[in-house]
Amino acid sequence: MTVATKGQAMLTVTNLTRSFASGDGLVTALKDVSFEIPEGKFASIVGRSGSGKSTLLSLLGGLDKPTSGNIIVDGKSLAQLRDHALIAYRCSTIGFVFQNYNLIPNLTALENVMLPMEFNGHVPHERAARSKQLLDQVGLDGAKQQRKPGRLSGGEQQRVAIARALANKPKLILADEPTGNLDEQTGKMIFDLLHSLSRSENTTIVAVTHDLSIAGRTDVTFRLSDGQLVTDKSTK
Amino acid sequence: MNAFSRGIRNAFRNTIRTVAIVGMLSLSIGLSLSMLLAHQAIGQKITSVQKNIGNTISIAPAGIRGFDGGGTPLTSDAIKKVKSLTHITSIDQSVNDRLGSDTTNIQSSIDAGSFGRRQFRNEGGGGGDVAFGGESRQAPDLTNFTLPIPVTGSTNPLGSVSGSSDSSVTLVSGNVFDGSKDADVALMGKGIADKNSLKTGSTFAAYGTTITVSGIFDGGNTFSNNQIIMPLPTIQRLSSQSNTITSAIVHIDSAVNLGSTTNAIKNALGSTADITNDADTAKATLGSLQNIQNVSLFSLIGAAGTAAVIILLTMVMIVRERRREIGILKAIGASNVRVMLQFTVESITLTVLAAAIGIIIGSLAATPVTKLLANNSTSDTTASQTAPVGERPGPRLMGGGFRTHFNNNGAIRGIKNLRANVDASILGYGFGSAILIAAIGSTAAAGLIAKVRPSEVMRAE
Repeated sequence: MTVATKGQAMLTVTNLTRSFASGDGLVTALKDVSFEIPEGKFASIVGRSGSGKSTLLSLLGGLDKPTSGNIIVDGKSLAQLRDHALIAYRCSTIGFVFQNYNLIPNLTALENVMLPMEFNGHVPHERAARSKQLLDQVGLDGAKQQRKPGRLSGGEQQRVAIARALANKPKLILADEPTGNLDEQTGKMIFDLLHSLSRSENTTIVAVTHDLSIAGRTDVTFRLSDGQLVTDKSTK
Repeated sequence: MNAFSRGIRNAFRNTIRTVAIVGMLSLSIGLSLSMLLAHQAIGQKITSVQKNIGNTISIAPAGIRGFDGGGTPLTSDAIKKVKSLTHITSIDQSVNDRLGSDTTNIQSSIDAGSFGRRQFRNEGGGGGDVAFGGESRQAPDLTNFTLPIPVTGSTNPLGSVSGSSDSSVTLVSGNVFDGSKDADVALMGKGIADKNSLKTGSTFAAYGTTITVSGIFDGGNTFSNNQIIMPLPTIQRLSSQSNTITSAIVHIDSAVNLGSTTNAIKNALGSTADITNDADTAKATLGSLQNIQNVSLFSLIGAAGTAAVIILLTMVMIVRERRREIGILKAIGASNVRVMLQFTVESITLTVLAAAIGIIIGSLAATPVTKLLANNSTSDTTASQTAPVGERPGPRLMGGGFRTHFNNNGAIRGIKNLRANVDASILGYGFGSAILIAAIGSTAAAGLIAKVRPSEVMRAE
C-alpha cells in the first residue's frame, strides 16, 4: 500500500522491505512499505510493539540497510550512498532524537550538543555559540548547560537531545518514542517543542510513538501493523 | 572539545578503573624495562669479559709453583721469543724474591704463627733469607721467627700483587712507577707499611740499598698487603737474578686466538715452561653471563607480552563496554576513523601514564633485578671455579708466590656487581614500544566495533 501526501516530498519511501535472519528462518520486520512526507511536515508512525516502527526509523536514518526497496531523502537515494556518504548524510541531513536520550554521559549538555557540529567540521567558537543558542531555545538555562546528563531530569535530557538533533540544521528529524520515558506533562511539553521547531525551522519530523493522543496532533499519521503500512490518518 | 580531548578525558572517566589499568600496566612496563636494562647491562658485561677474560696466557718455569717445586727459571731471551709471536699485545713479566732480616731492616706484617713455624721447620729450618733467634740448625729456636717478606719485581706493578685480583687492588697513596725501568723505588702493601710505620716518600733498606716508598696499595687481604713490588730490572739487579723471569702473563688481541697462540708459545718455549690459559675460566664466566642474559631476555619477552595483552584486553573491554556510545556517535555523524581516533587517544593516555610510572619502577628495579639474576646464576659457578683455578689467596707460607694463573675471582665478583645503567635511548625505545602497542591494540579493538552498524549496537543494548 502506498500513501501519498500533498506538497514537495522531503521523504519518499518505495517498496521498503527489511528481513532479518533468525534461528527459525527469516523474519520480515518491514514488508513492502511505501509513503511520502512533504517538506516541513510533522509525521507520526504508530503501531504496537514489534510492528517495525524502530526498524523503519533506522532505515530512514541510514543506520541500517533495507533488504529491498528505496528511500529518497531530499532528492537523494540512500541505496546509492556509500558508507562515507551515509556518514555525511547522518551528520548534516538528519537529526536523531531517541527514547532514552542517548546522550554521552561524561560530556556536559553543551558538549553533547556541540558533538554533531564537530563531526560536521564547524569551528569551536561556532559550535559553542550555536549550542548555547539551541539549549536556550529548548529551555535549558545556563547553569544546566554545564551539567552532565546524569544530573539532569528526563525531560531536560530530552531537551538536550532535541537541541543536539537540531545542531547541524537538519532537514529531517527522526524521533524514536521521544516522549516514551517521560511523564504525560513533560511529554506534552517535548512534543510541543518539536512541533514548534518543525514550524519555525521548516524541519520535517518523523516521530515514532505508541501514544495516540500525540499522534493525533501531528500533520500525518502512519500506522504499522506486522511490518506493513495499514493506513494513514490524513494530512492536515 | 574534539576526539583528542574526549579521548584524554575518557581515560579518567572511571577513577578505579584508571588506577587499576595504570597500576597493572606500569608494573608490566616497569618489569619489561628492568629486564631490558638488565639485558643491556649483561650484554655490555659479556663484551667487557670477552675483552678481558680469555685473552691471557700464563707462562711459568716448568716444575715451579711459587717457591715450591724445582726447575730453572725462564730467561729474558725466552720472553723475547714469545714477544715475537703474532697476536701478542703485551707481556707482564715478574721475578720473585723474599726479604729476610739479613737483607732488609723491615719486618713482615704477618705473624708466623704455628702454621708458619711448622712450615719453616719442614723446609729445613730456614735458609739465608729468613731470620730466627737461634743459631743451631739442628734444633732451631723458632720463638722469635718472623716470616720473610715477599718481594716482586714486575713490569706491571699493581697487576702483580699476589693473592688479589687486579680490580681489588687500590693505590692508597703515592704513585705507581714504571715497572720496566730500573729505579730504587717500591710499592708497599698497606699492612707492611703500617707495621713498619712507612709512608709514601719514606725509605727502607733492602739488599744493602736505600729504597724509597713511591706508593702504598691495599690488596684487600692480609697476605696481599704484606708484599713489596719493585721494578723488574731493579729486583733482577739487586737479587742477582739478572736475565731471570719467574712468571709472565701474555695478553693477546682476542680470545678467538687463545688456542693457536698458546700452542705457538708452547712450541717456542718447549719443555722449559708450563703454559696455561684461561679458556675454561672464560667459558665458565661467559656461560654464566649468557645464562643470565637468556633469563633476562625471556623475562623481557614475557613482561612485554603481558603488557601488550593487558593493553589489548583493556581496550577490548573498554570498547565493548561502550558499544552503545559508539553507536550513538555514529548515529549523530561520527566516522569510523574519528571513533577509532578517540579510543586510540584514550589508550595512549593510559599507556603514557603507565609508561611514566613504569620508567620510574624500571629504573629503580633494574640494578636489583640484574644483581638478583647474577647472584642466582653465578653462585654455583663461584663455588666450582674459585678453588681450582687461579692463585689461592690467604696465608701462603714464607710469602711471595708467583702470579702464575689468571685469577677469576674478580671476574665472578664483577658479574655479581653488575649495574644496569639507565640509558635514555633504552627508555625511549621502551616508551615508544609501549605507545605503539597501545595504539595498535586500541585501534584494532575500536576498529572492530566501529564497523558495526549503529542500529545493531543500539538495538542490542
